[in-house]
Amino acid sequence: MATPAKTEPNSPRNFLKWFDARWRDSGMWAFALNRLTAIGLTFYLFLHLGVLSTLARGPEAYGSFLQLIKSPVFVFGEFLVVIAGLYHGLNGIRIVLTSFGIAVPYQKQLFYVLFLLAVIGSVIFGIRMFTV
Amino acid sequence: MAENKWTVNFEIYRQKGQGAPKFETFAMEVRPDEYVIDAVERIWAFHDRTLTYRHACHHSTCGACGMRVNGVEKLTCITAIQSITRNGGTVRVEPLRNFPVVSDLVVDMGKMYTRLEQVGFRTTVPLNEAPPPDSQGIQRDRGASTELERLVDCIECGMCISACPVPLTTPDYLGPAVLAGAQHRGLNQSSAQVLALVDSSDGVWRCHSAYECTAVCPSSVEPAWRIMDLRKQVVKERFKRIYG
Amino acid sequence: MLSEKSVPKTGENVWIWLLKIVTGVLVIALLFTHLVINHLVAPEGLLTYQEVVAYLSNPLVAVMEMSFLVIVVSHALVGTRSIVLDLNPSRGLLRLVDGLLLLVGVASVVYGVWLVQVIISQG
Repeated sequence: MATPAKTEPNSPRNFLKWFDARWRDSGMWAFALNRLTAIGLTFYLFLHLGVLSTLARGPEAYGSFLQLIKSPVFVFGEFLVVIAGLYHGLNGIRIVLTSFGIAVPYQKQLFYVLFLLAVIGSVIFGIRMFTV
Repeated sequence: MAENKWTVNFEIYRQKGQGAPKFETFAMEVRPDEYVIDAVERIWAFHDRTLTYRHACHHSTCGACGMRVNGVEKLTCITAIQSITRNGGTVRVEPLRNFPVVSDLVVDMGKMYTRLEQVGFRTTVPLNEAPPPDSQGIQRDRGASTELERLVDCIECGMCISACPVPLTTPDYLGPAVLAGAQHRGLNQSSAQVLALVDSSDGVWRCHSAYECTAVCPSSVEPAWRIMDLRKQVVKERFKRIYG
Repeated sequence: MLSEKSVPKTGENVWIWLLKIVTGVLVIALLFTHLVINHLVAPEGLLTYQEVVAYLSNPLVAVMEMSFLVIVVSHALVGTRSIVLDLNPSRGLLRLVDGLLLLVGVASVVYGVWLVQVIISQG
């Protein structure tokens, strides 16, 4: 039998619980994934901006950068970014709609449909990225 | 009627004072159509008189018996054992999340009650004002008779606050119950202080649309929709105050 | 224990929230535009330095990319601020975070404009 962890209620130390959606409904999954993809995409944004600086250093720098991103690790990383972007954007649409009072009673169905679209989009991108 | 008895293990959260919490398991013989609160009560009565828990009406109108059952917020007086487990199964009972634990299954809901009062939470409404659960807005019919009243849907059980991800990390978020109460009162019936309270980072703008509050509410309050509607009310009130 | 503040924290109000939502929607539109135009101009991808120079030398493209930069950085930073707000920072800490986020935002945009200038000047 597991021992419950001693928790302080309402403490910033509980932030990992944002991502624990066990026993919760779809809306919590939506929130947890939205926040996770947000953090991931923010890292990617500044990384992307950073690597573009190779363009300022001339054709050789850019050329070797392009070689680097052909490696499987980078291609997979890019794929994760695509998935994250698809999910975050589509769920974002759901949040915008329901925040303005549109389709609130259908927010769960909306989540499932948009999640499915994100999955389909990811599969399509995946196929295009991993088959030359 | 044959007495169908099950043996179910109840894992009860125990915590006294500042001590470390633990789970204590009680193997109970129960009828499958009995409710979780019945089992908790029998554990207290016949096994451990130090177990503390809240209960009152036993028919889902007082809001006292809200607990987490197998991780999900439930009113234990209407949660039949057969709806959450089977013969030989285990039921984990824990106090509500996001409130300080006083003892075992009892949490301190003082902050919620205070805030409900601060936003002018109404306990009764005229019959004609009660909207259907999934309505797209409350129409106020000022001309109609206000003689007949009913109790509002919210039973102040606090389960919505337990399910919400925001109060995990901050004590200042007003929470779904309070915001729903403010929406129900109507900002145009409320003071500037209430407007300042809800139009803040700890009010309507803190909600992240997880909709867990609506998912666990036992009373069809639909707090998530009410928070979105309250946002509209806030914008309207702000406009009124600028343009008169 | 009640710790009621006499003045509510105004860390996020309707304007900041609206900024998050509006920039979010614009990001979708601009990201789509960015990817489509990228693909139209260079179906195999911008794989040579000269292609990038030519691409950014088109004023419409440069304007589109700069707008995209401003919008997406705003959205990311306002979003980051929301996450920080959820952690209940003190007033002082929040002001510090605001300053850092503003700095990062302005620096990113300045960097972007500078970068485009440098690239175009190679053309």
